[in-house]
Amino acid sequence: MAALRLAPSALAGGAALVLVGGVVTIAAVGLVSAAGSLPAVPWAYVRGILAFTVLQASLSTAISLVLGASLALALARRPAFPGRGAVLALLDLAFVLPPVVVIFGVVAVYGNAGYVRDISDAVGLSTGRWLYGLPGILIGHAVFNAPFCARVFLAALEAVPGEHFRLAEQLGMKPGAIFRLIDRPLLLREAPGAGGLVFLLCFTSFPIVLALGGGPGAATLEVAIFEAIMSEADFGRAAVLASVQILCCLALVGVAATLERRPAEGGEGGWRQPRPDRAAALPRAIDTIAGLAGLAVVAIPVAAVAVSGVPALPRLLDREVLDAAVTSAVIALPAALLASVLALSLAAFSRHLKLNRLAPRWALLPRLAAFAILLVPPIALAAGLFVAARAVTNPFALGAPLIVLVNGLIALPFVLRRVEPPMMLAGERWGRLADGLGIGGLARLRIVDAPLVRAPLAAGFATALALSFGDLGVAAFFGSGRLVTLPVLLYQRLGSYRLDEAAAIALLIGVVTFAAFLLARRLGGGLYADRL
Amino acid sequence: MLIVSELAVEMQGFSARYDLAVPRGALCAVVGPSGGGKTTLLHAIAGFVQPASGTLSFDGRDLLPLGPADRPLTLVFQEHNLFPHLTAADNVGLGIHPGLRLTAADRARVDAGLARVGLEGLGPRRPNQLSGGQRQRVALARALVRDRPLLLLDEPFSALDQDLRREMIALVDDVRRERGLTVVMSIHTPEDAAAVADLIAEVRDGRVTSLVPLRL
Repeated sequence: MAALRLAPSALAGGAALVLVGGVVTIAAVGLVSAAGSLPAVPWAYVRGILAFTVLQASLSTAISLVLGASLALALARRPAFPGRGAVLALLDLAFVLPPVVVIFGVVAVYGNAGYVRDISDAVGLSTGRWLYGLPGILIGHAVFNAPFCARVFLAALEAVPGEHFRLAEQLGMKPGAIFRLIDRPLLLREAPGAGGLVFLLCFTSFPIVLALGGGPGAATLEVAIFEAIMSEADFGRAAVLASVQILCCLALVGVAATLERRPAEGGEGGWRQPRPDRAAALPRAIDTIAGLAGLAVVAIPVAAVAVSGVPALPRLLDREVLDAAVTSAVIALPAALLASVLALSLAAFSRHLKLNRLAPRWALLPRLAAFAILLVPPIALAAGLFVAARAVTNPFALGAPLIVLVNGLIALPFVLRRVEPPMMLAGERWGRLADGLGIGGLARLRIVDAPLVRAPLAAGFATALALSFGDLGVAAFFGSGRLVTLPVLLYQRLGSYRLDEAAAIALLIGVVTFAAFLLARRLGGGLYADRL
Repeated sequence: MLIVSELAVEMQGFSARYDLAVPRGALCAVVGPSGGGKTTLLHAIAGFVQPASGTLSFDGRDLLPLGPADRPLTLVFQEHNLFPHLTAADNVGLGIHPGLRLTAADRARVDAGLARVGLEGLGPRRPNQLSGGQRQRVALARALVRDRPLLLLDEPFSALDQDLRREMIALVDDVRRERGLTVVMSIHTPEDAAAVADLIAEVRDGRVTSLVPLRL
């Protein structure tokens, strides 16, 4: 009875499941135990934080959707625009940059010593301190969420069959009618899905709000958790805030699931047709405005990273920077490896349960475990583990392993999403054949699964690497001054206004991350498999 | 009369040169291997492909200076004729006003068009609630309300089974007799059209290699 024999995939998957579930449980127990008896939580304070979190997430989402839709329309209407390739590359770049690099770009352009300030001083305008607070948060969020929305919308607009534009041309539709009858329904179809995701990302946003929020008046739940632990060691409040955040995220995900999008009517009919509204005057004017607005919000901060980073490159040879680079690599590589191994084990386990008809319903369990990780605020996870470790040893001695563990877990859902479908496919195609030949365990992974799984796994690894390499929060939490990764160093330099050192570090992080994502895209197809 | 004379089309890796004459009120079936240039011929007549040289006229009127919307014709595609988010009635209504500003009288014409193709009462349905044959009937209804004298169909019924295909071709034939339309229809199953076609044009390697009159 092959089904009853304990398969290696079940062993590995079970171990992975125990690890993931165990870590999350330990963190939860740690956090709650540190809180002692449930503290008297100032509910007015929690309400205030929640209100600001919702406000900034709503505004960020609205800005990203409008800007993204305008950019997508401009790009769709102008397939032969000379700078189009560069614009698309810039959108992809902005979208994958770690928040800490985006923070640098925004500060370099709009900050107190930034380009905009230089220009306004030169022409004698006093702008004052306006960036920190809601404006900074909104700009920071728009830098990478507007490109994301633009990509989603553009993909939908470009999937319109050529026949529809031939039809529009044959019927003599005016640009307004084309927008109303073809573009708008598509944008409205995609907006809930893209908007829901952007809202969730902004709701749980951490580094942007921490760095550009400018104080306790502009804290999201995630930042409030960080501050409760780091500056006041108030674990009780952190536990309460973390619970509120998890509940809100659950509710948001529930709402997002009901906003399910209809699948696009697929298929490319014949060759592409240039859009009939490409030459009309009004769309031209609107596209120009949209392009300039997109440039101001997205392109300039991203370009600033390169422009101010390149002259400062010699600063990379500083001892501290080199040390931080090594630390980052030493943390990101094992974290990505951990995420990949866990994802492979969980996917194999899930496949084993489903295809061997052992317990198809339980096959969802690995995916649920990954989903649980997405819901838990990373800072809360880190704080819980910190407290639990304190019971055994000096937690700062365990800094590096804990950073690796938490970063690996955070990246796990992104790798699993890439690896699970091809694993299932390999099982459906060749599972019976492999069973018949008695190919099991690692040999099966190597011989049967590898051709389908290799590229997505490598892409997932690159994604995990980029995420861990750009992580600020977890590293800042456990490092506490002793372990300094590149993002932590960049954040310190920004805080002490050493902008040219910061510029060099931001460029380095940006280049490494973008290289990893280019690799991921080459290997795994779409870039957007990276975001849930 | 539709006259295509030395109409030259150059596209990446494909060059074509067409000669064809279809008398007014006739139904011409265009046959030939796929990739031979049937679709390009229809797209050139409809104005979606710009010819490098040659002449194209219908009833003595030069079509080449006209944009696709101004030519006296309607082209029905093999698929994607309908906007998926609009009802069947709205899809037909686009043929009357391309911005869908329709009067009550226009709506009545839409209903009459749908009734003519056998879709009475199905106006409120969306394309995904219609079968493949019904969707092509909607496209035909739109061609009827547009009321242009030349009807081009690019393999319009290829995705349907044979019985349905013949039924649809018979419907096209009925409609053209009622309205006096000139019809050019590409098809890869010529035997289905043999009963109704007046002319069979074979297109191969970008040329009309033979033009056989069946009933003229």
